[in-house]
Amino acid sequence: MENNPEYYVQGVCAGNRKALAKTITLIESSLPKHQELTTKVLDRLLPFSGNAIRLGISGVPGVGKSTFIESLGMNLVEHGHRVAILAVDPSSTQSGGSILGDKTRMEKLSVQPNAFIRPSPAGGTLGGVSRKTRESLLVCEAAGFDVIMVETVGVGQSEVSVASMVDFFLLLMLAGAGDDLQGIKRGILELADAIVVNKADGDNLEKALQAKQIYADAMHLFSADTAEWLPPVLTCSALHIHGIDEVWETVLKHHKQLTATCALEQKRKKQALAWMRTLLEEGLKDWFYQIPEVQKLLPDLTREVERGASTPTAAVKKLLNSLNN
Amino acid sequence: MADHADIHNWQQMAEKELRGTTVDALKKPTPEGIDIKPLYTAEDLEQIDFVNNLPGVDPFVRGVRATMYTNRPWTIRQYAGFSTAKESNRFYRKNLAAGQKGLSVAFDLPTHRGYDSDHPRVTGDVGKAGVPVDSVEDMKILFDGIPLDKMSVSMTMNGAVLPVLAGYIVAAEEQGVSQEKLMGTIQNDILKEYLTRNTYIYPPEPSMRIVSDIIGYCSKNMPKYNTVSISGYHMMEAGADSVLQAAFTIADGIEYVKAAIKAGLDIDEFAPRLSFFFGIGMNFFMEIAMLRAARFLWADLMKQFNPKNPKSLMLRTHCQTSGWSLTQQDPYNNIIRTTLECLAAVLGGTQSLHTNSFDEAVSLPTDLSARVARNTQIIVQEESQVTRVVDPLGGSYYVESLTNSIITEARKIINEVDELGGMAKAIVSGMPKMRIEESSARRQARIDQGKDVIVGVNKYQVEDEAPMEVREISAEVRDQQVARLNEIKGKRDNAAVEKALAAITNCAQTGGNLLEVSIEAVRKRATVGEISDAMEKVFGRYVATTQCISGIYASEYQDNDIIASLRKRTDDFVQKEGRRPRILVTKMGQDGHDRGSKVVATAFADFGFDVDISPMFQTPAEAARMAIENDVHVVGVSSLAAGHKILVPDLIAALKEEGGDDVLVVVGGIIPPADYEFLHDAGVSNVFGPGSVITESANQVLNALENR
Ligand code: B12
Ligand SMILES: Nc1nc2c(ncn2[C@@H]2O[C@H](COP(=O)(O)OP(=O)(O)OP(=O)(O)O)[C@@H](O)[C@H]2O)c(=O)[nH]1
Ligand SMILES: [Mg+2]
Repeated sequence: MENNPEYYVQGVCAGNRKALAKTITLIESSLPKHQELTTKVLDRLLPFSGNAIRLGISGVPGVGKSTFIESLGMNLVEHGHRVAILAVDPSSTQSGGSILGDKTRMEKLSVQPNAFIRPSPAGGTLGGVSRKTRESLLVCEAAGFDVIMVETVGVGQSEVSVASMVDFFLLLMLAGAGDDLQGIKRGILELADAIVVNKADGDNLEKALQAKQIYADAMHLFSADTAEWLPPVLTCSALHIHGIDEVWETVLKHHKQLTATCALEQKRKKQALAWMRTLLEEGLKDWFYQIPEVQKLLPDLTREVERGASTPTAAVKKLLNSLNN
Repeated sequence: MADHADIHNWQQMAEKELRGTTVDALKKPTPEGIDIKPLYTAEDLEQIDFVNNLPGVDPFVRGVRATMYTNRPWTIRQYAGFSTAKESNRFYRKNLAAGQKGLSVAFDLPTHRGYDSDHPRVTGDVGKAGVPVDSVEDMKILFDGIPLDKMSVSMTMNGAVLPVLAGYIVAAEEQGVSQEKLMGTIQNDILKEYLTRNTYIYPPEPSMRIVSDIIGYCSKNMPKYNTVSISGYHMMEAGADSVLQAAFTIADGIEYVKAAIKAGLDIDEFAPRLSFFFGIGMNFFMEIAMLRAARFLWADLMKQFNPKNPKSLMLRTHCQTSGWSLTQQDPYNNIIRTTLECLAAVLGGTQSLHTNSFDEAVSLPTDLSARVARNTQIIVQEESQVTRVVDPLGGSYYVESLTNSIITEARKIINEVDELGGMAKAIVSGMPKMRIEESSARRQARIDQGKDVIVGVNKYQVEDEAPMEVREISAEVRDQQVARLNEIKGKRDNAAVEKALAAITNCAQTGGNLLEVSIEAVRKRATVGEISDAMEKVFGRYVATTQCISGIYASEYQDNDIIASLRKRTDDFVQKEGRRPRILVTKMGQDGHDRGSKVVATAFADFGFDVDISPMFQTPAEAARMAIENDVHVVGVSSLAAGHKILVPDLIAALKEEGGDDVLVVVGGIIPPADYEFLHDAGVSNVFGPGSVITESANQVLNALENR
């Protein structure tokens, strides 16, 4: 891999597809030397980032996320947008390997000159999905893409992490699942800026409209009347390309509302600060366990607590105090 | 009748011979989920009520004709087509003179997918895997000197079925043969295209309308013509076991019947013109029993539609021996395999048969290999005396019992399909394809471990194989076709063509019979591509969703040391490179063979690779872009339809253009040994031909990555 940060910085700024791809690889790498390089590259690219609408798209496997992105993305490039998609694929097998098939559902978009689609394995590398996707998103912005979509499969934790890096978090739903709202975690619904019931077509249309009503009622209960943005519930057919425009209009309306009040800046700042906090906490943890003193004391203290010779509180105090010396 | 005491006695004798183990240990499981016992007796037949029925009567287990081969043998019908209409015509005429009885046309992949030979997406495919037909002029050459009122012609066409069937009808018309005299079969089975054969054009819904339109038109105008050939053969070749093949095929058939009834046809008007097509593999008795079971199931299930004509209950079928069972290694063994499969099809009661050539795993047949394949049938027919008795295996304890087991197991799957709302809906759900791919992955894992024996591949390998004659289609064929196309377009009345095409678009939009308007356009010399486009405007082009199973290969693979050592290698790679080895498995051109690419993809993921899979039908430029964008270490091309000498160099050039000089390229599939050097010279690092053990291929890919 190229060692000169300039290679990445200049390539990305020039909108070079290969350089952008390599930069994302660099970000995703688990090697410390690559991470160092990443830091340098990101430092220089950061000033060029921030100019895109950031859209997160989540939902259960098979709900139609990729198909939705294909349809919306095609619509956007036809209107002159430059669209980047980061698709995080969780399908890691026992082996740690994975099958990345998202592009097979984005066949038209994936050959558009103004599109960039990068599927990434969620596989257990350092920093986790959050860091890699967040940083890749910034790099895509620096490369001049003005709409970035992040696709993740809804498995609980991943929604939270995606919602915390995008301007608009879209939750795709299926009819049928709506019959038992208990099954859906309230926390996830609260993250959504819009809920879209997909596959509203054919035999399924009637059910989709019913589901929409159920979700709409539920959303009403969840959100406070004072909220500035009441997440709408829509229906669409990603496959037959119905209702996609409405979803995009909603995204734009939300975006307009946020920018008008400087709320977008606030939101991103808040996200950045929260992210810093997370990183700090993670970093502290890593750092702490690396300290020789801790590594020396911890096994003994663990055994003491196990035997009942020491209370957990006392053990932790002892450990932390040891650092003060 | 053997009573229970006898069996007890046998068991004791058997266990004595077995020295210590029980008879139960001789029970063998099968992929079909049916355990095969070492001995069957009259007791096994006690609960089966179809035993001792007669041939020619419902439920037809013993055959659809009362006299079967004692009166007239099955039709020897060899599937063929290559290069140009002229070349193929010559080949047909020679074969007919040498004892072949019916024709069966293999079209090339651009024609299958509704592209004319000058389309930019088909640069590597014209004439390579079948005969190109761009217009009725090609069709006329194809049947030149072959009287279409006397010759039964089978055409394997599903995607571009309208322009091709219309072309056949008009070619006959211009030969002076009117429609009602035409006899033969059009495959017209679109459902299995989505499942395994991959030469669809439009989405399922309009495609089902096309099927109904053809059934409707032919039942009025072509009474001797078979309007759908409901095919399980392709499922078997894609990996389905016999139960899956029988179940999904029958379920497809029921779906067509329902569609035709919905379109307003009377069951007895069309059901007698439905025919079937099954694949016959190496599990001798299983294949025989499958054909018998399929006939039973069809007769049984058709009764729900209350037909009056007993022919509506009758499953008449063509069969083909399994190409998948044939090997590139020690290829003359293939003659023996094909002979066994041929015999199974015959003992199963087929109406017509194709036998494969011994060079099946290398290229299209040469004149010599085609002759041997044909003679295999002739020898069984005319020398072996097996045709002397109707259903010679009727009453066999084993075969009847096995037939019954297949019926039982297949019914379970047919019920599952019913619960999903019929086969069309089941296909959308992805269930049947996943089942077939799972079966294929398991089979591959067993072969790779040597558990399923294939002589010459995983047992009794030959060291130095003599080179074999190979049929190669020259790249000039495409230039010739393009020149002919231009000539036709120059000579015809273009305004009339435009009008006829507009009528097709309109018919697609507002209703009417699509075959009727297609025939009109063909008369005006509209091309296959133009007619297909006229409908695509309304219907759109279908994009299949590619799903991939995972974990199956590794779970079937019981030698954990080999899997573990591969996983260690990929883990070590991560330590060194910062990420997993990443491979893009791609299919380029119109080649729709995805069995190999799917099984390789799923196995590599099981070894710890990150595997990108491309959509089907990529151009080299599209594949290169995907490789760059996803930043893979390796592109793995899977090529089976003879496009490799054009597509692979194009891919490598496209990669270079995008700065991907460092991306490794490996190629798998049907690559004649003589082409290895060509590919290496073009920049390919490894070639993995048929029979490659996937664990070894993965190790070699890792070696190549390490040596970069
Ligand atoms: C199965 C099969 C079919 C099935 C395909 C089902 C499916 N969904 O895949 C069906 C019945 C549908 C079919 C149809 C046709 N077929 Co076909 N088919 C075969 C057959 C019998 C076996 C191929 C196979 O799947 N083998 C099993 C898999 C696992 O093996 P494999 O793909 O070779 O992969 C192995 C290696 O090659 C390697 N490998 C392959 N790819 C890769 C990639 C990587 C990265 C790596 C590391 C390794 C690797 O590893 C694998 C494991 O060992 C071959 C003949 C043969 N015996 O090979 C003919 C064959 C490929 N078919 C042929 C033809 C002509 C057709 C048709 C075009 C006929 C027509 N005119 O209508 C049609 C149309 C298909 C289409 N849409 O393209 C010809 C091609 C002729 C040529 N190349 O010159 C062949 C060679 C038969 C012949 N001699 O005539 N076919
Ligand atoms: N009828 C209908 N089918 C749809 C629609 N959208 C997607 N599908 C189908 O649903 C299946 C899954 O679609 P994908 O887009 O791959 O879903 P996904 O959510 O990205 O799936 P994963 O990435 O595997 O989690 C495919 O077969 C699509 O064709 C729709 O609007 N209507
Ligand atoms: Mg997806």
